[in-house]
Amino acid sequence: MREFTGWLLDLFEDPREGLVLYFIEEQGGRQRLTRPFPVTFYALGKDAQLRALWQHLSDRPGEITLRRARRMDVFKRGRVTALAVTIHNPYEARKTFYRIANQFPSLEYADADLQISLRFAAETGAFPLSYCRVLADESDQLRDIEVLEDAWTLKPSPIPLRTMSLAPDVAPHHEPPHYLKVEVEGEEYHLDFSTWRPLLVNLRALIQRHDPDLLLTDWGDTWLLPLLLQQSEKHHIPLRLNREAGRGVSWHEERTYFSYGQIVYRGQQVHLFGRCHIDRQNAMLWKDYELDGTIEVSRVTALPLQTSSRVSPGTGISSIEMLTALREGILVPWQKQQAEMLKPAADLFTADQGGLVYQPRIGVHKDVAEIDFVSLYPAIMVHFNISPETILPDPDAENRVPALGLAIDTSQDGLIPKALRPLLEKRIEMKKHLATTPTWDPYRKNFKHRASALKWLLVTCFGYLGYKNARFGRIEAHQAVTAYGREALLRAKEAAEDMGYRVIQLYVDGLWVQHPDKTHPNDIEPLLLEIQERTGLPISLDGIYRWVVFVGSRQNKKRPVANRYFGVFQDGSIKVRGIDARRRDSTPFVANAQRHLLELLAGQAEPEDALPEAVAYLRQRLMALHRGQVKLPELLVRQRLGRKLESYRAPSPAARAVMQLKDAGKEMRPGQRVPFLYTLGKPGVFAWDRPQAPNPRTVDVARYQRLLLRAAAIVLESWGLDEEKLTERVLSEASQLRLPSPSRQHPRQHRRNIPGVVDTAMDRALKRQSQ
Amino acid sequence: MGRTLPSATQLMLQEEASLARFRRALRRSDQLAFDDLFTAAQKHISAAAYAAHALPFETFLMSMLLEEHKEVMRLRKIVETLEEMHA
Amino acid sequence: MDRQITTFPIPTTGKISLVVAPRTVVPSLMSMLAALALRGRVIVVDGGNCFDGYALARALRRHTHQVQAALKAVQLSRAFTCYQMVAMLAELPVDGTPVIVLDMLSTFLDENVGPAKRQRLLDNSLALLRRISQGAPVAVWSRSHSTPNDDGQVLLTPLLEAAHDIWELETPELPEHQLPLF
Repeated sequence: MREFTGWLLDLFEDPREGLVLYFIEEQGGRQRLTRPFPVTFYALGKDAQLRALWQHLSDRPGEITLRRARRMDVFKRGRVTALAVTIHNPYEARKTFYRIANQFPSLEYADADLQISLRFAAETGAFPLSYCRVLADESDQLRDIEVLEDAWTLKPSPIPLRTMSLAPDVAPHHEPPHYLKVEVEGEEYHLDFSTWRPLLVNLRALIQRHDPDLLLTDWGDTWLLPLLLQQSEKHHIPLRLNREAGRGVSWHEERTYFSYGQIVYRGQQVHLFGRCHIDRQNAMLWKDYELDGTIEVSRVTALPLQTSSRVSPGTGISSIEMLTALREGILVPWQKQQAEMLKPAADLFTADQGGLVYQPRIGVHKDVAEIDFVSLYPAIMVHFNISPETILPDPDAENRVPALGLAIDTSQDGLIPKALRPLLEKRIEMKKHLATTPTWDPYRKNFKHRASALKWLLVTCFGYLGYKNARFGRIEAHQAVTAYGREALLRAKEAAEDMGYRVIQLYVDGLWVQHPDKTHPNDIEPLLLEIQERTGLPISLDGIYRWVVFVGSRQNKKRPVANRYFGVFQDGSIKVRGIDARRRDSTPFVANAQRHLLELLAGQAEPEDALPEAVAYLRQRLMALHRGQVKLPELLVRQRLGRKLESYRAPSPAARAVMQLKDAGKEMRPGQRVPFLYTLGKPGVFAWDRPQAPNPRTVDVARYQRLLLRAAAIVLESWGLDEEKLTERVLSEASQLRLPSPSRQHPRQHRRNIPGVVDTAMDRALKRQSQ
Repeated sequence: MGRTLPSATQLMLQEEASLARFRRALRRSDQLAFDDLFTAAQKHISAAAYAAHALPFETFLMSMLLEEHKEVMRLRKIVETLEEMHA
Repeated sequence: MDRQITTFPIPTTGKISLVVAPRTVVPSLMSMLAALALRGRVIVVDGGNCFDGYALARALRRHTHQVQAALKAVQLSRAFTCYQMVAMLAELPVDGTPVIVLDMLSTFLDENVGPAKRQRLLDNSLALLRRISQGAPVAVWSRSHSTPNDDGQVLLTPLLEAAHDIWELETPELPEHQLPLF
């Protein structure tokens, strides 16, 4: 027997050895251990059918064990009788289950088709990348495992992860890459793609020498690894990407599916055994929280690193819920979903709402405090015990959900609150910690990333509660949460108004308030306490704006919208939402300029004083544009194709760009962002990923000028420079910038041709006449 | 999943559309005043949403009336001030 | 003016009445629902997220001031997956309350569920509806599409077989609905 401490890197099923686990030893080595791991799922249904299933399965004693069991069904709010089917070989478990489910389709199933890491975590407490004490015997079998740092540890011991990064020098869909950049342990190598034999031999040697735990790639899933493996076979130079011998890599096919009316595209994936592969270009939220955050997600959801880096936060939340259910002995339904309770149609009007959102007054507001509930919806779920099984239809209950005919059973902790509470508490703790950690602290980035990962999970759990395919979803729970949310926000508003504040804006989980005598953060404390008192929910001050501007909608400047604003906090930091500087489809040329203008405004005590510099800056940018000094990548627009190409009647610019790519033999799927330039004449766009390089002289300079001035006007018009005046001032001293001026609109545009009202029969008759 | 009923904004657009024939037959200057009423109602769309009436036009009318009254109060103050000045 | 008046099938106990029509029929269905709600309880199972509460309220308002009370008489449940549809039908109270199913087939067109499974769940649903119709009036609306797809056609067949009275409407404009005579 020997004992060591280390981190669980990877685990997977093996045809002969049960579960295989790879550990990173604290002392420096890498350990491969195995453990038998039978897998149990449950069959539920009528007695006669369960008996039939029992008979069908009872002649395979070595492989399958059967047992009668009573398990907790969260939706039935009690225990039910089930047939427990234990499959001894975990490698066969999934296949065997599907065979059984196909042969007995009228039965219901639970705890079926679950990730092995979830089952392992539920049984032993050990989750991927957990720091454990491990006991192994002479035949390298795992005998005991004890987690030394749980998933909620604030400062977990850093993992001595050996990382090798592989990246082509350029994006392969843009132009063929020239060399492969390999970085490992502080060294960098360039391997030429034009000579495959040396590339493969060298790469193999590097992998062997450094034995990385993690392969971090760019386009590894969709391009690099498939190509390397293909070439490796062609040249007969085996590449040991896996640590585990005797296996190929694990291929996951590409998928396109619908989610909430949007087309989502998931690229093909390459998973390794004994080693982890993360493709930075295919990792969901890499930009937001990088490796630190991804590891945090793995720990908290018990999903292996290769899975957690590729799945959406929704899958993460689902995993947390399933893990909690497994731990508590609650059945995890395989396909059955709870139907909505029959309720009076009258209730639908109050229930079918989202969060409360005001229409703000467009323009500048000074000394405005933004206060936000901390993770409002998750906090509501935890605080008010909202879970699929705690909702009761009861219009007369004393403790009714506000305005709905529902009541919450508070006698026991619900499954969802149990699952979310540690997550929520950790996020709050991390936020507090971040607030007190100085900017130069090396831990700070790690904290930010991990806090961001937790935030994403929390942000998703509410939507997941109402998701039609969620195992533990229930629409009434979703409705209850929004009802409590509206109630909390209104009470906060009332508290603010009772204390003499003016409410500038309300937005789902936050409010903007203003009080002439309360312009210092300490002044706001009493309000925060009062709100906490009246709602039972934690609320914090985001900051006090020196000034904040609410901008009208993109289509109609006069129509107020809630999610377009920008402002400067007292500490000088800038917050922007909804305008070009923040939008992912805006071109960097415009976004960066807008951001710079905001910084100029923020830099002056009186924003008006920044105007001359702003105008000069814009003039300079436009000169650069006209002189061709702006690099083409800065002019790229990145728009998503909203639907399939065929369904466009008048193709949008993005659609036209995609058609160009199609003609060049490159397929783009709906859901992907297409980068393109605006060009002169028809078709008016140039898709960036076309094989030929664009001619810089075809760039539609006039259009980019208009885009820049429009974006600048959004920021500057609160101080008198609307688009017209701004254009005048910027162009006035620079005649070489003069272009046809933007068309004037009639001051009061009234509407014509209201559909359905104007007589189309008459229109047609008139057309015939004029022909 | 879950959202079945249209948003308050959509409801207001529907109400506007249902009055399109009425609007069309008005004089152009009256049409502009008509449009102002709906712009005014827009300001309180969140309250209309929260109220969740089965017949939402009532809340839109209240919003229009609310804004009219605010305007009356504003003008009343101006008139009082002017009267004082001339007194 | 000579206008064609189309009366909706009168749902009676013992039969399943089926209307196959495009989405534009919803306001007329809400009118029919209003008429039923004024007489007592009615159950609505919405399989296509198309329940138009406001149209129902307007229809009720044409006949009564007590709109809220009538809205309370309509018991609604929405099914967003075919699993939920079956579960819903299995749990319905069989006590003579009329049952209206909106957009019956929509959830069975979800390609995320295998076709064999969807077929089986549809068969279950129809069996449940047959059982319910023995004790209460049942009316089903199935949505017809301007561009018919194969999947929809395949699933429509068992529905047509299960129904006793079938109305297929193609015209987008549906004239004023007459009150059914129960």
